[in-house]
Amino acid sequence: MLLTLLTAAAAGLVATQDPVRTDAAHTFLPPGPQHWLGTDHLGRDVYSRIVHGARVSLAVGIATSLLGGACGGAVGLASGYAGGAVDLAIQPILDIMQGFPLLVLALVMAAALGPSLLTVIVAIAVPFVPRVARVARAATLSIRDAAYVEAARGLGASRARIALRHILPNVVAPLIVMTTAQLGTAILVEASLSFLGLGVPEPYPSWGRMLSVSAAEFAQRAPWVVIFPGLAISVVVFASNLLGDGLRDFLDPRLRI
Amino acid sequence: MRRFIVRRLALAVLTLAGMSVVIFVLLRLAPGNIVDLLFQSAGYVDPAEKQRITHELLLDRPVAVQYVQWVRQLAGGDLGTSYRYGLPAWQIIRPRIPVTVELGVLALAVAIGLGLPSGVVSAARQHTALDYGLRIVSLAGLSMPAFWLGMLIILVLVRVFGWIPPMLYVAPQADLRGHLLQFLFPALAAGYRSAALINRMTRSSMLEVLREDYVRTGWAKGLPGRAVVYRHALRNALLPIVTVLGTEFAFLIGGLIVTETVFNLPGVARYLVEAILWRDYPVVQNLVMFIAIVVVLSNLAVDILYARLDPRIRYT
Amino acid sequence: MAGRMLRWGLGALVASALAAPSAWGAAAAPRHGGVLNAMHREDPPSLSIHEESTISTNWPMMSCYNNLVLFNPLRGQESAATIIGELATAWRWQDGGRSLAFTLRRGVRWHDGQPFTSKDVKYTFDLVREAPGIGARLRLNPRKQWYAQVQAIDAPDPYTVVFRLKRPQPSFLLLLASGYSPIYPAHIPPAELRTRCVGTGPFKLKEYRPGELIEMVRNPDYFVKDRPYLDGIRFIIIKERGTRIAALQAGRLDVIMPQEGTKTAAEQLKKAVPSMVIFQTSQNINDNILVNFKRPPFTDARVRRAMSLAIDRRGYIQAVRQGGAVPGASMLPRPWGVWGLPASELATLPGTGDPARQRAEARQLLSEAGFGPGHPLRVVVSTRAIALYVDMATYVIDQLKQIGVDATLEQVESAQWFAKLTRGDYELGANLTGIGVDDPDANFYENYVCGSPRNYSQYCNPEVDRMIDAQSQMPDPVQRTRLVAEIQKRLEIDGARPILAWDIDYYAMWPYVHNLVPHQSVYSYARFQEVWIDR
Repeated sequence: MLLTLLTAAAAGLVATQDPVRTDAAHTFLPPGPQHWLGTDHLGRDVYSRIVHGARVSLAVGIATSLLGGACGGAVGLASGYAGGAVDLAIQPILDIMQGFPLLVLALVMAAALGPSLLTVIVAIAVPFVPRVARVARAATLSIRDAAYVEAARGLGASRARIALRHILPNVVAPLIVMTTAQLGTAILVEASLSFLGLGVPEPYPSWGRMLSVSAAEFAQRAPWVVIFPGLAISVVVFASNLLGDGLRDFLDPRLRI
Repeated sequence: MRRFIVRRLALAVLTLAGMSVVIFVLLRLAPGNIVDLLFQSAGYVDPAEKQRITHELLLDRPVAVQYVQWVRQLAGGDLGTSYRYGLPAWQIIRPRIPVTVELGVLALAVAIGLGLPSGVVSAARQHTALDYGLRIVSLAGLSMPAFWLGMLIILVLVRVFGWIPPMLYVAPQADLRGHLLQFLFPALAAGYRSAALINRMTRSSMLEVLREDYVRTGWAKGLPGRAVVYRHALRNALLPIVTVLGTEFAFLIGGLIVTETVFNLPGVARYLVEAILWRDYPVVQNLVMFIAIVVVLSNLAVDILYARLDPRIRYT
Repeated sequence: MAGRMLRWGLGALVASALAAPSAWGAAAAPRHGGVLNAMHREDPPSLSIHEESTISTNWPMMSCYNNLVLFNPLRGQESAATIIGELATAWRWQDGGRSLAFTLRRGVRWHDGQPFTSKDVKYTFDLVREAPGIGARLRLNPRKQWYAQVQAIDAPDPYTVVFRLKRPQPSFLLLLASGYSPIYPAHIPPAELRTRCVGTGPFKLKEYRPGELIEMVRNPDYFVKDRPYLDGIRFIIIKERGTRIAALQAGRLDVIMPQEGTKTAAEQLKKAVPSMVIFQTSQNINDNILVNFKRPPFTDARVRRAMSLAIDRRGYIQAVRQGGAVPGASMLPRPWGVWGLPASELATLPGTGDPARQRAEARQLLSEAGFGPGHPLRVVVSTRAIALYVDMATYVIDQLKQIGVDATLEQVESAQWFAKLTRGDYELGANLTGIGVDDPDANFYENYVCGSPRNYSQYCNPEVDRMIDAQSQMPDPVQRTRLVAEIQKRLEIDGARPILAWDIDYYAMWPYVHNLVPHQSVYSYARFQEVWIDR
């Protein structure tokens, strides 16, 4: 995971070639010393594209998780802490959002907003909000009436101060776990969107796009253009799942996702 | 119990009403409409003609008017007309429902059939090679895009056997074997992810239950290990699994969309994508509504089931 | 027969590669019966051929209708010489080429039992030319311009039709012979034909299940004796490209769909199923660059020429088309096309020479126009959000970078693409243009004359327009060919719509399919009247 992050950050250095440079004379080169993972149908270097693709895929994964996590966390915190009318007003909205299957909502949004990186991030982040909010709300509820919170209240701390200083830190752990788990999901959903023609647009493709575009046409002719992006996705999602597992054990052994 | 169900039902109806507004507004935000698409194939844009079609399709009226019109139609059981095909939307959607439902049920069966036993085995044999092997397989399931798995299956089938499942829907009464073969592979592709999830859920909740006092007591009483595992632990571990099934159902539908596309099954899920790409509003909004109803109802069912299974939950 | 068609084999099959397709046609006597499973990639936008301009409609629906005349389905190259009668038994030019008279076949009935007469013919072409006084209208009418020269259509008796033209137009007969020119029934409102089919053709529409299947069934009362051979045709819709190629490979499909056979797919099929028959033909579709003549700096001829020079056509064919395309000018190249420029003249056009030298020339032109290292030209290349289009644009952008142009990609959803082009809201566009008939009139009037709605680059050269009108009226084919060549050269030199390549179709079918002969243009060979199978 860390390795992927580093790779993405330093894509310019790690990449051996320009990922969008086409080369008519060297299409479909198998993996070799010149092109470590071969070249694709336009003669572009697969390795460099994967390295650059890590940026897009991770950008999507991290941005959606953060966006969804932050919004969901805020909403859940507010809902759980304020309770009463606020809670009653927010809950139906969350129910409404959660009623849509994730991919369906993302699809409709991606189609509605037009294809761009930002659209895809928003389209995937929005469905995360209610899921995160739910966890945040539950966690908030469980400590809202804890003794030390009561004590702070007794000492005359403002509501905002209590929420930020006393409750938030305790909600953060489950939020982090939840968010990490979403990271892998986000990358997978982006891949599915790409497959259905509504993912992150070219020229710097996400892994999902590399997979879905090449797979149909070139899988048999040049398996490497399909295998490596597929591996990249699986490894990162795998890693984020492991990370999620580890964090869960570390931060909150009782939480289940 | 009855009051609980009535309350949950009322809530479900409210939720659905809200969802209908969201769907409607979202779809109308989209740039490019069906009129542009109709013209796209011809490449001509005659403004007068375009206006006429726009008017015909009510697209020049305020969104609120269109919405009211839609809800009125829905209430009357009229699902509108597909812009794309000029056919009643219901006529297009209806034959597709059984396909998706069957695929969904089969995928769920695959998920439970593979996920539950493997989870139990994993928990019972914690920290053995078998456990690690199963965990890796299940993590792989969570790491693989469903469409990619589907493509791999097709690729391997055609390369190795020169055979792929039928491309046209095979009715079960016409050819049961062909029908099952047609659904088996997509169900595997769509269900793998859920199987992996259920495996992980089962394993962790089993482990938790196995640590509980009454299980230890069972052990101490000298009950055979197997009986302890199956009779006591599994029964109690089922609760969280049911919950996860409820939320997983919504996820499964996402898997069905891509799986139906890859395996060319004429289901609602795949059709939804096409309708979205075509901005065929009546079809999209009715399909999404349909999916929403299914999800809301399945959540309701899970809630009720949950309440039934767990005596600690009060029906308030 | 089909002399210029090349049968295409790979590796060890080179020996049979040059055998004419007629070889298998004559090998056995045609057999009746059987249902053909044909590939289809998507739902047709509608079932009404006159309202659409995509192979997705022609491919399944042509078998339902007939034309007055048709390019012989068994001959690979369409030309004036291969036209045969269908609903017309005889035709002659009269009045110094100003009118065209048809004698119609008697005793033909529509699929609903109504008799076919000259009324239907007059109705059909009045409908598409939007003659005043005709009640019905097509919702979309993409080929109205084909009939721009028609003054009036007379039906003096039930079996005679006379087209009176404003001026001689020899190509008019070819336009009528296209798959895009079926005769519609006068007694059915055209809107109904969007979802059903009432024709006179060899097959009737049995069922259309959107997203799944278009099923045709043999017309037992077809006016040609003993035809069609097939009991029916199933056009199976498979949206996912990898899946449909796999379906052909696995034998779930018998024939591919025109335009679907790329070189990569063909090689893969041939390797997996050595007996697979693959024809190498053209599609009459070209890949081109649209340069917006109305947008600075493309108002400057030097900048336009630099764009065209910068793109190495050979490299394009190799990279984007994997070798499955040929260079050419605005008319389909030989040997498939009738009007293509000879190779010697093609070699003089921009983008075909030594890449390094051309890039140097392009750079020179740009610096004359005021662009250079300190002040690079920035352009946006727009294209459709479809893999192939994006590949095209990616290549073009890379080529432009090599002459110092800072080019970026803009992807446009299909829904907005043509509307955007028509508005002129783009700088450079990576585009595909399909041409209905391999004929100068069909191509030039649609894509190149001033003010044509599909002249997306808004190129306008009155002198070229005059040449186009002149060739259209020329009765002598030799003279006309010479003038058409002149026009083609002018169009490329002016950079009206720089042609990158003409696509080759690797048309694949199982060896038990007979008499399905792909033409140089994809739109006119799907009648299926003569096709038979011996599985």
